[in-house]
Amino acid sequence: MLLESLKRLDYRGYDSAGVAIIDKKLAVYKEVGEIVNVEKKIPLLKGTTGVGHTRWATHGSVTKENAHPHVSCDKKIAIVHNGIIENFSKLKEELKKKGHTFLSQTDSEVIAHLIDDAYKGNLEDAVVSAVKKIQGSYSIVAVSEDEPEKIVGVRKESPLVIGVGDSENFLASDITAFLKYTKQVIFLDDGELCVLTKNSISVFDKNRKSIKKKENLITWDVKDAEKSGFAHFMLKEIYEQPDTVHQVLRGRISEIEETIAFPEPVEKLLSKEISSVHIVACGTSFYAGLIGKYLIEQLTNIPVFVELASEYRYFGSRNESSLVIAITQSGETADTLAALREAQMSGCKTLVVTNVIGSTATRISDGYILQQSGPEIGVAATKTFTSQIIVLFLIALKMALLQKKLGSDELYNYIFHLKELPRQVRDVLERSNDIIAIAKHLKDAKSVFFIGRGINYPLSLEGALKLKEISYIHAEGFAAGELKHGPFALLTKETPVVAIVTQDETYEKILANIGEIKARGSTVVAIAEEKDIEIENHADFVLRFPSSSHVLPCIAITVVLQLLAYHVALLRKCPIDKPRNLAKSVTVE
Amino acid sequence: MTKKAVILAAGEGKRLRPFTETMPKVMLPIANKPLLEYVFDATRKSGIDEIVVVVGYKKEVIMEYFKDYKNIKITYVTQDRQLGTAHALLQAKKHIKDSFIVLAGDNIVDPDSIVKLLKDQSEYSLLIKEHPHPSKYGVVFFENRSIRRIVEKPKEDVGKYISTGIYKLPRSVFTDIERCASEGTHALSSVIQSLVDKGKHINTVLAKSWMDIVYPWDLISVNEVMIQGIAASTSGVIEKAVTLKGPVTIGKNTKIYSGCYIVGPVVIGDSCEIGPNACIFPSTSIGNNTVVHPFSEIRSSVIMDDVHIASNSHISHTVIGKGCIIGDSFSTITGKTMIEVDNEFKRLETPIGAMVGEDCIIESHVVVDPGEIIGRKCKISPMKHIIKNIPSESKVM
Repeated sequence: MLLESLKRLDYRGYDSAGVAIIDKKLAVYKEVGEIVNVEKKIPLLKGTTGVGHTRWATHGSVTKENAHPHVSCDKKIAIVHNGIIENFSKLKEELKKKGHTFLSQTDSEVIAHLIDDAYKGNLEDAVVSAVKKIQGSYSIVAVSEDEPEKIVGVRKESPLVIGVGDSENFLASDITAFLKYTKQVIFLDDGELCVLTKNSISVFDKNRKSIKKKENLITWDVKDAEKSGFAHFMLKEIYEQPDTVHQVLRGRISEIEETIAFPEPVEKLLSKEISSVHIVACGTSFYAGLIGKYLIEQLTNIPVFVELASEYRYFGSRNESSLVIAITQSGETADTLAALREAQMSGCKTLVVTNVIGSTATRISDGYILQQSGPEIGVAATKTFTSQIIVLFLIALKMALLQKKLGSDELYNYIFHLKELPRQVRDVLERSNDIIAIAKHLKDAKSVFFIGRGINYPLSLEGALKLKEISYIHAEGFAAGELKHGPFALLTKETPVVAIVTQDETYEKILANIGEIKARGSTVVAIAEEKDIEIENHADFVLRFPSSSHVLPCIAITVVLQLLAYHVALLRKCPIDKPRNLAKSVTVE
Repeated sequence: MTKKAVILAAGEGKRLRPFTETMPKVMLPIANKPLLEYVFDATRKSGIDEIVVVVGYKKEVIMEYFKDYKNIKITYVTQDRQLGTAHALLQAKKHIKDSFIVLAGDNIVDPDSIVKLLKDQSEYSLLIKEHPHPSKYGVVFFENRSIRRIVEKPKEDVGKYISTGIYKLPRSVFTDIERCASEGTHALSSVIQSLVDKGKHINTVLAKSWMDIVYPWDLISVNEVMIQGIAASTSGVIEKAVTLKGPVTIGKNTKIYSGCYIVGPVVIGDSCEIGPNACIFPSTSIGNNTVVHPFSEIRSSVIMDDVHIASNSHISHTVIGKGCIIGDSFSTITGKTMIEVDNEFKRLETPIGAMVGEDCIIESHVVVDPGEIIGRKCKISPMKHIIKNIPSESKVM
């Protein structure tokens, strides 16, 4: 039951998991990675009191020792904790002096020892005296072997809810965990403490005064609650992007110090002599890789080869001095994992870009960088794609920096403009009404072309992929210069063309391409800079992105493409979050 | 017992432009939390367990922000055209089965007052509040707690009590709203007046604390009050030789560099970079992802997300919108100024500095006179002295 509940929380993401169960004696089982890893280790248990946890690392790396639950020295008390203990180093020193030995690097472990230190036969007293010493945010749940029927919980600034069952009671950070077993819940407020047994629930305030709390009946559909009013997960995830582009930069760039920082193993990988880079990926991640090729080559002059993981596995060159970068949102894409293993066998160093810490990809690579985009539920990748591009750009900057190919003014300029990305995404979202108007012109098309030059070519591919996967309209992306070498044969008056136009060295060329298309009577929708007035004379319709996108305009353009695909699919009444024949995480080859 | 609340959050807040050009009024930040979150929190604490939020103008901003707010069931309904408060409330009709309370999403009220309203025996009750300047609001006249008349925005300061717009109502009120709508009336206070005229007893309940934001500079005074209630907690990295006094809250991944002097109450969001040698004085809130360069001083101000403030700036009693890039040596002049409001001039009671809309680019050595409003997406060249309001998307050369 405990494991089942943990699995219900897995949409939140985690890197390790564990449970502690009292069956006469307290037993703890914890592992890195998925909950099933723990499941495999657990013998058949009869205990009826237990706590479980999924961890996303903050203090200390992802190891079995650092996973929760944590136990006291005599292994009689176990705790799980969400939040951050600010003064844990000081507490840890004090406890060490008192003779406590620590097994992990986490802040959470001090709680187990603090409770143990204060334990005089009553668990709630010990918890109260422990939390008095703690500064920070927490929700803590504790059990003790000496009081096997009892679970004690306390919260400050981290969530904790009680589930009221029939001869069974629950305590969790999120209702979803126990919704299968009960819909009666009690919300704990900051500073409150609760004591649960099989048949009783008591809640106390800050001053240990017993208080009566109201039970609430949960009547809503959890899935709907998660969509937060948006019609689809995809739309919600598109609108999350001002935040996710901020999250992917979090803790990695500093404007004041003019630095780009990655975890140590990654920095080590990037500082080596690299003769070439191979990017392996599938689907949308592959397109992110194609964009990465332009970014890395431009900044470092190192040749980059982008390979489909399913192809690289059997074909393509291997070179020990090349770096293989694998991009997989889930970290479990079977083809990409196979390519990763293949690369390692041939002696290449491997670096993974993923959204899921603790996934297989992070465990079998030499280093990994997290996208920090939070769970993505819509099958069509949106926020994870923009985050992948940003990670690849940071990799390119870091490589250029380590190889002394980037001046300090240039670096400052890049960091400064990276910080502007959230506002550029907001700017595009502000213009969604213009995009809805254009979607009406595309909704009845049989086929749509997307064209661009340079870095806008892989963007065209992504724009076409988004449209075809959710609206079921046939769509193709082309390098604009390639049209006359074949695809023109398919172009009719009924084929709208979406052209991505940036004011760079290819500007005149793409205008010429638009002219060629117009000559054949097709409708052209241009995605162009705000200040580009000239384009009005060439295209039938213009969608705008902010001109201030000096660095990575592809992020703002991607958001335009996503909204366009979404609104076309919406007009066609397609099942946007669950397109036919597609799955979110492709774990088969 | 009443358990449901309808929160009206569809309005734009035109008088709060330029800050409401990209977000609804209810999303304006006070101590780094949107107004609406204070309303949600107070409602939940008062024992309400389900809220229906009426959204309209820029609704996605609201829905995205509250996606992780799971303490209470939230249902969204959309009001496509903002006709009036009664019309807004009507959109929630199908989600309401019993008596309910209705609140405005842009007013901060304490949970105890809501509890008082919920406990009131009368079928219809209105939360009222004493106010020194009732003429901006609906003035409530009553006898023995029973409403006699509500006068919307009287010309002169008559009466003493104003309507907070927070009601407890029976479900039958929807029939009255529909009746009034067919007569062309869409304001909730008019619907209530019509019920009073028919002899309905509507009780008044006195609120303890209630705050409204009408003009951009109200953000500064309300921020000053609400920031007092924020408990100090620091995370991120704080370098050596940083002085923190009073309650200071610092968010995750924020870095405070050596030599900074910060006097609380101050709230700083996530992923900011402050200093070295910057000074931040009381009643200041700074949003997420904001950078403050060396030797800048910020006092009694509301700085939103993604703002960039270069060195040697002096910012006092000022509001700076999201995504602004402020060049070095930016200076705000603070004073009790005359402000033109609704075509009449009035002297503000408290000193104010500049009001800078979202996404402005202000180059170095710009000085702004007290109370001047710079619109959204303005560009201001170096060495300019701003002596009047600047409309959105303009350039000052």
